[in-house]
Amino acid sequence: MEDIKIQTVCGFGCGSSLLLRMNIEEVLKENNLKATVFCGDLGTCLSQPCDAIFISEELWSRIEGRTTVTIVPIKNFMDKKEITTKTMEFMNSLN
Amino acid sequence: MIKKENIQAKVKAKDWSDAIQIAGRLLEISESATHRYTKAMITAVKDLGPYMVITPNFAFVHAAPSEEVKKNDVALITLDKPVLFGSRNDPVYIIMAICSKDGKSHMNSLAQIANILMQENTIAKLIEAKNVEEIFNIFEKK
Repeated sequence: MEDIKIQTVCGFGCGSSLLLRMNIEEVLKENNLKATVFCGDLGTCLSQPCDAIFISEELWSRIEGRTTVTIVPIKNFMDKKEITTKTMEFMNSLN
Repeated sequence: MIKKENIQAKVKAKDWSDAIQIAGRLLEISESATHRYTKAMITAVKDLGPYMVITPNFAFVHAAPSEEVKKNDVALITLDKPVLFGSRNDPVYIIMAICSKDGKSHMNSLAQIANILMQENTIAKLIEAKNVEEIFNIFEKK
């Protein structure tokens, strides 16, 4: 199977997207799952090939409807429970 | 993890942009970023909306890496009275401002800070902290 790619997106691709990326990587590791997680910024995220975009709920509307990639809105970037649930939901949807 | 000079506790801020201004000022005094960088952080919130309030009561603000950043750095202030960003995670008591030269080299220090923020009661402890020393210790304790 091809490598799964998850893009975490914030305004500039180096702040909150980085935190989100680290949290998703931790969830994947804990559940013995494999995926490449990388950061992107709002301006260029749609032209970066990936299988899913994890983005703050407040930025979601800016890319909604503009891509066929799965978009996962996140309310609380530091809530392990929310990130675990949404990451697992996405990973399970691939099977 | 965060230098004492870059921390202030129970600051009085008029509104969200004043609060960012105060946190940005700490980065300016540390000669880590210019005043233009501070203004860019405020513009970023105006442009992109309040998504930087990434978790309840906590805003993680920054602007894009640029030559206005002299070195990677972090500043943190807590507020005497919270301010509103217009986010679902309002009201905001804590502002963490970061500046990064290239968007990558600050990863390690950010990872350490994130680990502490992920612990369930860190935000509550930060809000309750009475002075710089208490805030400093929250990040130093392993």
